[in-house]
Amino acid sequence: MRTVVKLLYETQGDAVQVSEAVILPPPPPETVHRTIASRSADVDRRVLEAFAPTLQQRAKSGLALVAVGGFGRRELFPHSDVDLLLLIGSESDMPPKEAIASFLQQLWDGGLRPSHSVHTVADCVTEHADNAELTISLFDRRLLAGDESLFQTLEERFKAFLSKRATLIAQQLAGLATGRRAKFQNTIYHLEPNIKDAPGGLRDLQTVRWLQALEPLEGTPSLQGALAFLGGIRIRLHELAGRDQNVLSFEAQDALAEQPAALMRDYYRHARVVDRSVRQAIETATERPGSLLGRFHEWRARLSTSEFTVSRERVLLRSVQAPEDLRLFEFVARHQLRLAPDTIERLQGFVPKATWVDWKRMLSLPRPAAGLRAMQEAGVLTAALPEWANIECLVVRDFYHRYTVDEHTLVAIGALESVTDGRFAELLGEIEDPALVRFALILHDIGKGSGRDHSEAAVEVAGHVMTRLGAPEMDRATVEFLIARHLEMSSVMSSRDLHDGATARAVADRVGTIERLKLLTMLTYADISAVNPQAMTPWRLEQLWRVYLLAHQELTKELETERIHSPSGVAPERARFLEGLPMRYVRTHTEAEIDGHYQLARQLESRAVAIEIHHERSIYKLVLLTRDRPALFASVAGAISSFGLNILKAEAFTNAEGVVVDTFTFADPHRTLELNPTEVDRLRGVVRRVLEGKQEAEKLLRGRPKPLLPAKARLKPRVAVKNDVSDAATLVEIVAEDRPGLLYDLARAISESGCNIEVVLIDTEAHKALDVFYVTYQGKKLETAIQDHLKAGLLAACMAQQ
Amino acid sequence: MKKIESIIQPHKLDEVKEALKSIGVDGMTITEVRGHGRQKGHKEVYRGMEYQVDLLPKVKIEMVLADDRVDEVVQALIAAARSGKIGDGKIFVTDVADVIRIRNEDRGEAAL
Repeated sequence: MRTVVKLLYETQGDAVQVSEAVILPPPPPETVHRTIASRSADVDRRVLEAFAPTLQQRAKSGLALVAVGGFGRRELFPHSDVDLLLLIGSESDMPPKEAIASFLQQLWDGGLRPSHSVHTVADCVTEHADNAELTISLFDRRLLAGDESLFQTLEERFKAFLSKRATLIAQQLAGLATGRRAKFQNTIYHLEPNIKDAPGGLRDLQTVRWLQALEPLEGTPSLQGALAFLGGIRIRLHELAGRDQNVLSFEAQDALAEQPAALMRDYYRHARVVDRSVRQAIETATERPGSLLGRFHEWRARLSTSEFTVSRERVLLRSVQAPEDLRLFEFVARHQLRLAPDTIERLQGFVPKATWVDWKRMLSLPRPAAGLRAMQEAGVLTAALPEWANIECLVVRDFYHRYTVDEHTLVAIGALESVTDGRFAELLGEIEDPALVRFALILHDIGKGSGRDHSEAAVEVAGHVMTRLGAPEMDRATVEFLIARHLEMSSVMSSRDLHDGATARAVADRVGTIERLKLLTMLTYADISAVNPQAMTPWRLEQLWRVYLLAHQELTKELETERIHSPSGVAPERARFLEGLPMRYVRTHTEAEIDGHYQLARQLESRAVAIEIHHERSIYKLVLLTRDRPALFASVAGAISSFGLNILKAEAFTNAEGVVVDTFTFADPHRTLELNPTEVDRLRGVVRRVLEGKQEAEKLLRGRPKPLLPAKARLKPRVAVKNDVSDAATLVEIVAEDRPGLLYDLARAISESGCNIEVVLIDTEAHKALDVFYVTYQGKKLETAIQDHLKAGLLAACMAQQ
Repeated sequence: MKKIESIIQPHKLDEVKEALKSIGVDGMTITEVRGHGRQKGHKEVYRGMEYQVDLLPKVKIEMVLADDRVDEVVQALIAAARSGKIGDGKIFVTDVADVIRIRNEDRGEAAL
């Protein structure tokens, strides 16, 4: 929908109302320079007219009128300030205040906006640490009237000053530009950009020109095209507003172009050229050889490999072509570098052959946004992921979003690299596969602009993309889930009663598992943070955390309470197997896995224990089915630990017939199983014997050295016992520093206090064990005395004090 | 003229806005705030740690109205924001000395 815009066209102070809905495109590029130069010439004349009666008589000697800044370089936009310098020979040449006032008054009355200063030549060639603007305005200077020899003196001395102080002035310029750019979050992709001050705007363009004048740079592209384009828009913006207004607002976009989206795409294209040049110029100005920063950057050159050379934070290719996969960008992200201009040049037309494994490797790094930005900058993102073109420079107008859709997406991924709130930082650390959140973020808004529900459209696109990349079923399902539900938590935050139990149940129901809840929470955190720099208010942070907490509690509760009952659509035999297992069981296993377990369950007709061990790369998984018996879980955990294996995850569920389904996921840090294939069989045998009571886990472990506890335990163990969560069992939650054998010690502590383990969910992330046990004592919840005894036993186990 | 300030539960905002719109109140200022009244927050347990949640997220709605509209608006607010539970919020009504519209310096009720 286009808005009808009223245009006010102002010429020489007369307001002329132009008819409604007239599109006034920016002037053709070739005329822009002429337009601003002719306005400058016109202003020259008017300034001289005002100067003649007021200050002229004093200008024989000791006073010169100098045009500086934009006026000095004959680039005056319709309502730009007119920068004037009254150059005086010495303080005694200072004209009376009244004369200056009447000169300026005449300019104001004529509709100009003079911005003037009075300085001696000595002032002009002095460094002003806090007023670099004076020096900068003097870069472009020309004599309008008055003492010619005084102006000549300024010319000579200022040139000498510049050449002597070039380095310092360049640094000041770079500092000003950096500060200004930061106010716009260093991105050109604003939906309503300020075309003068924002990154990629006219001020940046001018900064490049100045820095080049101080110290010629190599290989900077011509900025003439960008100047004509941005200049043309600025002319129209001034005309539209009737003042020095430089924001290319939605209204202005509608007024300037029949198709605002096309105008904005052109805008971002030009702004990108300027942005790239200015960043390079700033870098050159701030990184002097020998400076501390320079030395650090030289040191970083040691990162160079046989494929890539690192020079001044930039990556150069050693061979003509980039590696086929995403290795280059992974390298960029791992070391937080940028691509050299030459590398970008060589990447033109490059289409990486990236598979799901390549993407995941890059997105699993702690700070992958730099890699994605490098891909975007070199055009490789669209080559690797053609769907990205849907959202490139896409403007979707709404009241809250500040950036184009592609920029929003990259900012969101970056937001996960600077999580300052401790609770969310911890949560992020607990996520097993953060690459999934990041990949979901890359595609979460890919459906925007499709004209349909953007989440639905994005799920479809994600399905195609991930199939093409060869992503496994589980990953695909998770990413599709995250995209489909990416607005869920925000909507609950703002429109559901968080005190109502039904809200928690509804969220838990839709999310399904604690793992997915964590992923979705962090995705929501990133998505909200990237709307605009102020969007993640403490208020929203608190609300999001509360939604997470409610759903987390509900899901923990569900572990024990929500059980499968009379499953429909399955064979009766299989229904008997599923009957009574927690809902989590079906949510976390694929059809194929459940089928495998069912086959194992059938083996129990002829034997006491059915065991299966698989491994995928360095991770092993042991599935075990048997009839429940005391200390079962502890025994198995002990048997696994006795091989020096490190248990990362475990689940223990029981069905209605008392068949236990236990899953242990473990790492093989000493490569015992990997190097000795027969050890896998021995492990299977030991687990079986332990369960048959023919061997004791305790004895197996006796021979193993006790792990040393780190000098400073990073995490104080916490044990919570809750009786109100489930009707049938007591919840025990443990958070502790992980160590080999911890699970065995905990499980044994539970068994030794006479309790029986009903449900177990063990997780380990980043040296932190997150364990949930549902236990009973003689078939009932735990009495207070037993609770206290158990708690003490568990705390002791966490500290390894036996 | 009276100023009505109302603190409500965040999830009631849409309902309240709808209710106000249906009786012709369009102008309002909405702020996301945190605070507590008698409700005094509560304890939440996460991973065996107790967290005292003392500042609860709420939404504040402010509007200035002609005197004769106050009762009607207060009733609409109550009807839309009430759930009957602790934490439903409060409504404050205060006198307003003057209102000035910045654009054209309209004053008093004309500026509302």
